[in-house]
Amino acid sequence: MYFDPAENTVYWIYSLLNWVIVTGGLTLIVLMVSFLTLLITRGTEGVAVFGREILAILVDIFSLSPRRIWALSRLTYLEAYRRKALAVFVVFGLLFMFAGWFIGETKEGVNNEISRDQVKVYISFVLTSISWLTIPVVLIVGCFGIPEDIRLRSIHTVVTKPARRLEIVLGRMIGISMVGGVVLLVMGAVGHLWIVRQTPSDAQDLLTCRVPVYGDLGFINRDGQAEPYGINTGDIWAFRSYIEGSTKARAMWRFYGIDESVVDSEGFLNFENSFSAFRSYKGDMTRSLLYDIKFINPENSLSYTIDPQQVSENRKKLDRVPRKVTDGDKQYDLIKDFVTKDKYLHVEVSCLDREQYIGMARPDLYIRMPDNQFWVGYWKAIFGVGLRVLLIAMIGVSASAIVKGPIATILTFVFYLLSGKDAHDFMDQLFRGDVKGGGPLESIYRLWTHMNPSVDLPDNPAMLVMKYIDYLPMGFLWLCKQVIPRLQSFNMTEFVANGFDVPFGVSILPSTLVVLAFFFPCVMLGYFSLRIRELESK
Amino acid sequence: MNKMTSQQRKLVYLVGMILLLIPVIILGQPSGGMVDGKARPGGWLTELRSKHDLGENDLGAVDASGAAINLVLLGMRGVAVNLLWIELDKQRDMKRWYEMEATTESIVRLQPHYEKVWDMNGWNLAYNTSAEWDAVPDRYRWVKKGAKLLMRGVQRNQQATELYYRTAKVLDHKIGLADESADYRKYFVNDPAPEFKGGADPEINPEGKDNYLVAKVWYQDSTVRDDKRPQHILDRSLFLSSAGHCQLSYAQALQKEGKFGEETRAAWEQARRDWTEDYGRKVIHTEVSSEKFDIQLEWTDDDIKQAAKTPDDELRLRRHVDLYQKTTNYRYWRTRAFAESESVTAEAHRDLYDSKMAYTNQEFELAQTKALSGMTGFDTLMKRPEYQELVNEEQLVEECLLGWRIWDDIFQLQQAKIPEDYPLKWLIQQKLTSDETLVKSVNRQFRRLLEKNR
Repeated sequence: MYFDPAENTVYWIYSLLNWVIVTGGLTLIVLMVSFLTLLITRGTEGVAVFGREILAILVDIFSLSPRRIWALSRLTYLEAYRRKALAVFVVFGLLFMFAGWFIGETKEGVNNEISRDQVKVYISFVLTSISWLTIPVVLIVGCFGIPEDIRLRSIHTVVTKPARRLEIVLGRMIGISMVGGVVLLVMGAVGHLWIVRQTPSDAQDLLTCRVPVYGDLGFINRDGQAEPYGINTGDIWAFRSYIEGSTKARAMWRFYGIDESVVDSEGFLNFENSFSAFRSYKGDMTRSLLYDIKFINPENSLSYTIDPQQVSENRKKLDRVPRKVTDGDKQYDLIKDFVTKDKYLHVEVSCLDREQYIGMARPDLYIRMPDNQFWVGYWKAIFGVGLRVLLIAMIGVSASAIVKGPIATILTFVFYLLSGKDAHDFMDQLFRGDVKGGGPLESIYRLWTHMNPSVDLPDNPAMLVMKYIDYLPMGFLWLCKQVIPRLQSFNMTEFVANGFDVPFGVSILPSTLVVLAFFFPCVMLGYFSLRIRELESK
Repeated sequence: MNKMTSQQRKLVYLVGMILLLIPVIILGQPSGGMVDGKARPGGWLTELRSKHDLGENDLGAVDASGAAINLVLLGMRGVAVNLLWIELDKQRDMKRWYEMEATTESIVRLQPHYEKVWDMNGWNLAYNTSAEWDAVPDRYRWVKKGAKLLMRGVQRNQQATELYYRTAKVLDHKIGLADESADYRKYFVNDPAPEFKGGADPEINPEGKDNYLVAKVWYQDSTVRDDKRPQHILDRSLFLSSAGHCQLSYAQALQKEGKFGEETRAAWEQARRDWTEDYGRKVIHTEVSSEKFDIQLEWTDDDIKQAAKTPDDELRLRRHVDLYQKTTNYRYWRTRAFAESESVTAEAHRDLYDSKMAYTNQEFELAQTKALSGMTGFDTLMKRPEYQELVNEEQLVEECLLGWRIWDDIFQLQQAKIPEDYPLKWLIQQKLTSDETLVKSVNRQFRRLLEKNR
């Protein structure tokens, strides 16, 4: 794994508060703008109009008819079907017919560890293809539906019926999600068969779905002092940090919630790792670097160390530790003697080779529970794609209620592009001031004066004023960022591709919450726009 | 205002299209094939393509899938390739090696005739990626991947002189000179991957030969192509020496591994022939201070006299030959190859090697006898006027000094008096006082022997 699933942990109170502030703030802004516009254009009569509109909105909300919504959803589905949205299957079929040509064969199938990465490529390919084929279909169908209805005036056949505009928006969203759902189901099933067929028969066991129990990671440096990170041995990617061999340096994991359930049916605790090795000199090349794992109970100062093991770099290494272990003449039970009262298991990893280094990140050591079937993780990942589809359908429909089809498509697509981890990280860096060059005014000033971003600004009041003015657009950017969904947790492909089950707490739950969080604002925005939109205008 | 009707306009468009099609058809007319042993001319583009070897067939093996995807991408190939390169960089930074390999595969399919792409990616796999793995068999696997990629690059670009050279370089330089070369060379003949059942990987070594010998063939292929399409890696004189150097490295490697039989002598004999009869006789176009001459490195004074038209020319030619001989270290390797082809040299090497082995096994008497015999052999050899240059050959002198250390140490162990005079005394005393680095290296090797001895 090259990311830490804990990054997606849901902080309930913070998330809820953030949602309330952003949604409430935006609603308030919309209402205030509407109110002021009416007040300015119509005077006191505008206040009454505003009141009537609010009342009508409330009536619409409380008079929703599931039957009408379903009828509109069905119509949307049929419309998409007749517009040949399902022709995407042709592209999908072509892609999968020839995919094997480009991805290459599993030539080294005899060696399971090598095939693991080939299988990873297959799974990534299938899930990425499905995602990138389904999303454009939903995007186009979602963004062009309402504008086309308005252009062809077919919307009049609906709005003149008892159907409410809120129901139109909801019906559209559900119908388009149904199109996406059907496409996903078919592609998911074919993709599953393709992966199974493409994986050599002797490597089928690589289609696994590990269930890991992760712990927290801390470090001790070579002098025995606690540190949040180890040493960086020069990697650009600072995901892993390293501990020095034959010193006091240690990596300390703390696993929570440990009880009898982590012991397998044969009485073993399965610790799996993917440590990295860094040699400061070549040393003995006939073997890999050595590490050991030490179990510690801080409550009774008991400790037990397993035999030295060789690092299996760029692969997964399974250390099966028997529950009942013997140390000299003493026998210990790892669960009873080492798990603390508050259900923590403390584990220390050290490097045994002098002046050599072993690297690790938090997800590099975990307790491996009994595996799930591959299809469990795979279909969870498909569900993840489904959530994306749902989100795009919602954003697309609400955007299409405001602007015309092509603009709505571009708008939604830009939203989608900006919802990735990299884009959000960049925006975060902007707010934190990590991006050199400052805000808009400061940037213009620096460009104009040819001033290098690393040179400090002159110390004078004008510069101070300029910096304060720069806070305004930054504030606006912050608000925009809150509106852009963060789809980091939606990336379930990586779990499955790396042979892991998709965790509920840090992936499915946060993704579902994001979709739910966008549901209400998107529906209301779409409804409100459609309500105030002049349907006669093409 | 346009007064034409819709139908008239369509007719005008049609005529325009037909007019535009005519040059397209003429220009793009395919080749007519062979009729009565004569090639029927095709369109202008076909002729140009054929003349400059630019057709897919002329460039090398055709990859149907790569060609198909290039067509499917229409004009977006550049964009797709850029994105893939960005992805490759990211995957390399994040050590996602297999994903990086898959991206490499996509890139070479999209840019099959961009030689630098094969070159860079082959290097990346063989040198950069292999070094990121801890276990030697893993490292070797990535070296192989790099070599295989380059070989595929050659298949797709059969006129690409530089790709032949790069492939040879991985087989020669990476497998033969890396810190793990002892293992790599072994693996090249007996691959550690179970699917090869102890044999060589047929993709890179179908005949199960030594890596230097396989590399030599690739170097030879590159020199053949260099005549038609010159390379831009090295000066031609150095470039042409690669195959000869490879044979020299092979012979040296055999000695290093303790093989001193007929195989090694024959390897040196072949190295001598390659160096003097093949490389030494190749025509090199020289240019010194805007004077241009075609020379051969093996030219004697008589050859130079014959080739020169005037006494001035003779002077200049001699200068050119001398300069290029120095650049390529030609004379030294010539002497070395001649010397090593002699049976006395092979015997001397074997004696010094045996003395090391005997010393390690604490058979001191045998070790001393063998060391003395080896020293005597080299003493005789180096005193011959044609081999005097060998006193500057670091590897050889190091070997002699180590033999002397063993010989000397045994006297000390036995608390016996060291003879006043002994073979190679003149060389040893000279080196002990003048070459500190060499002495340190010999001492280090001797310490290792002592450790084994214990």
